[in-house]
Amino acid sequence: MSDTTLIILLSTITTGLMLGLIFSLVAVGVTIIYGSIWMPNAANGQFFLLAALFAWSTSVSWGLQPALAALLVIGSSVPLSYALEILLVRRFYDVPNRNISYFVLTLGITQILSGIFSITYGVWSDQFQLPPLVPGVTMLGPFPIANNRLAAMLIAAVLLAILFALLRFHRYGRALRAVFQNRDAAALRGVNVRGIYRMSFVLGNAVIFAGGVLFACAYSFDLTIAWTMAITAFAIMIIGGPGSVLGALVIGIVFGLTQAVASIFASPTIAAFAYLGAMLIILLFRPSGLFAR
Amino acid sequence: MTGLMRRWLAHAIFALAAFATPLLLSGNRYFAFIAGITFFSVLWATGMNLLYGYTGLMPLMFGGIAGISAYVTIGLSANGWSFWLAMLVGSVAASLVGIVLGLPALRLRGFYFTLCSLVIQTVITLAFVYFVNLTNGDVGISHIPLPELPGGRQLAGTAYELVLATIAVIGVVVLTVIVESSFGRRLTAIREDDGLAETLGINVTRQKLAAFFVASLFASVGGALYAPYVGFISPRSFDVLLSLNIWVMVAFGGRGTIWGPVIGAVILAPVPFVLQDYYTIKDVVYGLLIIGVVVLLPGGIVGGVKRKGRADAPAAVAKQAAPVR
Repeated sequence: MSDTTLIILLSTITTGLMLGLIFSLVAVGVTIIYGSIWMPNAANGQFFLLAALFAWSTSVSWGLQPALAALLVIGSSVPLSYALEILLVRRFYDVPNRNISYFVLTLGITQILSGIFSITYGVWSDQFQLPPLVPGVTMLGPFPIANNRLAAMLIAAVLLAILFALLRFHRYGRALRAVFQNRDAAALRGVNVRGIYRMSFVLGNAVIFAGGVLFACAYSFDLTIAWTMAITAFAIMIIGGPGSVLGALVIGIVFGLTQAVASIFASPTIAAFAYLGAMLIILLFRPSGLFAR
Repeated sequence: MTGLMRRWLAHAIFALAAFATPLLLSGNRYFAFIAGITFFSVLWATGMNLLYGYTGLMPLMFGGIAGISAYVTIGLSANGWSFWLAMLVGSVAASLVGIVLGLPALRLRGFYFTLCSLVIQTVITLAFVYFVNLTNGDVGISHIPLPELPGGRQLAGTAYELVLATIAVIGVVVLTVIVESSFGRRLTAIREDDGLAETLGINVTRQKLAAFFVASLFASVGGALYAPYVGFISPRSFDVLLSLNIWVMVAFGGRGTIWGPVIGAVILAPVPFVLQDYYTIKDVVYGLLIIGVVVLLPGGIVGGVKRKGRADAPAAVAKQAAPVR
């Protein structure tokens, strides 16, 4: 194998993994929220972008350390989630068919945030870039990779592992899965259903924010990623199975690799067509997804 | 006779207002244009009401169907077809596409159908951008010629708005006739419980697809007339925001009532023009409106008024044979 093909191969794999891990993170956040409170968070893309832009503001305009900025941004999602929960989300906990109300509600939030972004962060084609988290370059054989991206990948992988363990083994995770399966039975067994709802909303949004921050650390971005991310996260959630964290993980990585391959051999539009097509097929023929529990 | 008159009184008033508005505003092209856009909104909101209000499906690909019709109509008339023939072919073709796009509704309900329709809308928008040689891509098509009238004159100005008013009035009348027919009652039965409707001997598949055909016809007639009226279309003219805006009109006015969506359209369609000087906050205003409708007005204006009236006069409720949701 010549050096050029090896470089192309390695760059495709690293890009694919990087994107895949971020897709997985966001999709896990979306699927936790949908699985528990039945809220299809269409605003996930805008939250993702909000985190990325906020990280840019804090690190570039205010001059904070990127690592510190990242923590600050992820932390800021908590009060935001609480405020949204109290103002809007809480009202629908007992409404039948609330998923469609939530869907429309979050589409409204999407509109508001995208309006605010286009006023404040201005022109659509502007590229935002953060200072690197870790400087320097590592050589993978002949292929150079920025330490910055490696760090972002590592953090994403660790976060996913922690989330997975939390949901599988911790008391909170068990309670969450109990509420997923049967809300009334969980309540009878002494689970505080509303508390679990609030927790999952906060946790899910924090995970989406983490995805946005890591993406901002690894890549330059513009305001159009919000919509792309929203559609991608939904596609991953539907294909993996709504509420399935494992599904979100696996399908997220698959999507990342697909995207990386497609952007070499075809155009990103083709990749988007492929996602949407896959999502339609799953919706029509296996609405519970590939990893249904 | 009086019963007949009372039944159509509201329609007569609406028709009168619709025809008078362009004539009264004919001195000011800007206001007349706003009236024209409002007529499109009335037509589209009425069409979506058939699906969202009476069949219980929320289709977010509504704008895409209007777009397909607009692009087909323009494409055909650019190839030398008469606009009216092109519009006929474009509308029917887009409505047939609408039936195909409605097929998921046979398997999916509620949120899953809406999500599916959002995916379809996104695919349509991407396709408009992607097939550059048919649609001119993101640049869009400008300088769309006005429709020719028999006799060589062009349909323009107040005459165009009168045509739009006619279409809007026809749309509302058609919806009323459908709702009061047995077809409309079958759709309402499907909205309430399609399993039950099936056991009552209603062919749910056929009724749903028929509803999609009729609603798409509303969308596509509007789309075909929209293109030459505004003179410019691009993929963004028919993206998910159009579908959402029409949805807001229906939900804000009151879905499942004849006049709710009309009122919603008349109130909301001029909003972007009123906010023109503050166009940057337009998205924010629309977003707040969507949230406000979902949280505060789940039945819309008309639904809210009806509910209030019922609470005030319970005796009147007993007399009213209107279906309660």
